[in-house]
Amino acid sequence: MAGWLLLAGIVTAAYLGFALLALTQARPWQRVSQAAPLTGIRRLVLRTLGGLALLLSLALCLVRDGPSFGVLLWATAISIAAAAVAFTLTWRPSLLRPLVKMVAASGDGCRARQRHDKSDDPLGIDRA
Amino acid sequence: MGDTFRESMGWLHTWAGVVLGALLFAVFWTGTLSVFDKEIDRWMMPETRLAATDRLSWPPLLDTARELAPDAPFWSFFLPSERVPVVRIFYRNSAGDFTFRDIEPRTGALLPDAGTLAGTRFIFPFHYSLHLRWNDLGYWLVGLAGMATLVLLVSGVVIHRKIFMDFFTFRPDRKLPRSSLDLHNLTGVLALPFHFVMALSGLIIFIAIYFPAVISSAYDGDRAAFYKEAFGIYRTNTSGEPASQSLAPLDDMVAEASRRWNGEPPQLVRVWHPNDAEAYVEVRHSVKKSVSYKLDAVYFDGIMGAVLHEHSSGPVVSVQRFIAGLHFIQFEHWPLRWIYFVLGLSGCVMIATGYIYWLETRRKRHAAQGLPGVRIVEGLTVGSVSGIVIATLAFFVANRLLPFDTSFVGQDRAALEVWAFYLVWLVTFAHAWARPGRAWREQCWTIAGLAVLAVVLNAATTGDHLVRSLAHRHLWPVAGMDLLLLAGAAVALLIALRLARRCRAVHPSQNALKAAE
Repeated sequence: MAGWLLLAGIVTAAYLGFALLALTQARPWQRVSQAAPLTGIRRLVLRTLGGLALLLSLALCLVRDGPSFGVLLWATAISIAAAAVAFTLTWRPSLLRPLVKMVAASGDGCRARQRHDKSDDPLGIDRA
Repeated sequence: MGDTFRESMGWLHTWAGVVLGALLFAVFWTGTLSVFDKEIDRWMMPETRLAATDRLSWPPLLDTARELAPDAPFWSFFLPSERVPVVRIFYRNSAGDFTFRDIEPRTGALLPDAGTLAGTRFIFPFHYSLHLRWNDLGYWLVGLAGMATLVLLVSGVVIHRKIFMDFFTFRPDRKLPRSSLDLHNLTGVLALPFHFVMALSGLIIFIAIYFPAVISSAYDGDRAAFYKEAFGIYRTNTSGEPASQSLAPLDDMVAEASRRWNGEPPQLVRVWHPNDAEAYVEVRHSVKKSVSYKLDAVYFDGIMGAVLHEHSSGPVVSVQRFIAGLHFIQFEHWPLRWIYFVLGLSGCVMIATGYIYWLETRRKRHAAQGLPGVRIVEGLTVGSVSGIVIATLAFFVANRLLPFDTSFVGQDRAALEVWAFYLVWLVTFAHAWARPGRAWREQCWTIAGLAVLAVVLNAATTGDHLVRSLAHRHLWPVAGMDLLLLAGAAVALLIALRLARRCRAVHPSQNALKAAE
């Protein structure tokens, strides 16, 4: 049972990780959201979170199966998770909307600052 | 070949892919099926659908072996496991042929000869040897396919224009060349680590064939010395005198070997020269619990039961065995097994979409210039993609249709199944070249029909229909096979319907043109 729960955790973390990474790219972002693509610090934060989620999935793999099976499981499972994100973007992009909303919510404070900086940061290179 | 590095890589990728794609697809497809070779065995050998057991009784097993092969130079007993509920004995029959039978582990009762090579003896060896034994030709062709896969993957990455931007991109609504290229890139890039490691490890497994320089330089060409040191092959000569005593208890030898391996069980017990005074017993490590395909072995004196020799892999071979193990996937790990299966299929999709892209980007030009290329390659594509799937299904259907103990023009039942596979495959190529434009659709219909037929025939001939097989744990391999056949039928049906719709969408305009003339 714990094995299956961990497996669910591994897959979820890998999927979320790739979803976050995908959302930092212009085309996937536009399939999910009407807003302008992410730039600057928010993109960096999302990429870091995505990377951390993938690392979490690796850690769960190591916990579940030890070093040799764990690494093998991770290296193969992430391929499938990435493909799942690609197919989600193709056929059900709305499934990723909650993630975009979360980004928007967490970015509200950020946005105020961005508006303030707009004049001297036309390329969206955030200096916060 | 092109002026820039990228152009020359593009040329290499295109032509290596077109020329070797058919071979690659055959290797990828049978490799993917081999992930479930033992489950295919259960489906094709209904007599072996037994409840799993780890208990076995040696005296009746040895009696059965003695009856089956009294003069054989060795008996290899592969012990039961979660996926294989029987003891499988390999031996040389009186004609000198290497053969096998399955035995009930507890009673030693010989199970009826299923008359099939099934997954482990047909599909799996096809994956690495194409069953072309002449001069190891099959091994070399598969080796070529492995090298080609590495070359294609690397050159594919070089020529990919936007590898990161298109990382998650699949646009089925675009025109066929673009959408097939999307899918080709997606399956190629996302599963790149898997494909790369599988191709490389495949080459490393057959190091003794593909890299003979290792043996000729380090062992002065002495193959036996290499095998002995690397893989722990230990042999002694027969005394020529019959044994005065019977064999020492095998249970004790198994227990002793297991004690030396920290309680891990063996997977193979091989009795050498069973009737000779110098009989000895080889006990090999299980490959179920670790990624590494371990070759650790303990050899016992057959009569006295004392340890003669112990082998455990040195550091280099341990690495080789780890790489071999992650390719062979003989370990017990269901999530990984399914992931391998899906990633294997993704490789098949990668090859098929590569072909489709080649065809669709050239179709108009070749038609305008009167070039035969598209027509030739389209036949090759259809025959090697949907054709081998049909051939595989024909193999399954023949298995359920051929009566027990049947034979025809000197070929036994197992050989007839294999003939069904090759003949049907040949027919699919002929069909593909004879009916361009319709071949894809018609072969998809055939796939759907044959897959459903296989499920129906399994239920009709064995009584293990899905309701029953899902309800019993030991029939899950059968249920899994039936469910995958049905899923495959559904996918083939969807593709056939889509192709038909596209055809209708194209034809009215042609009709309108004719009307206008």
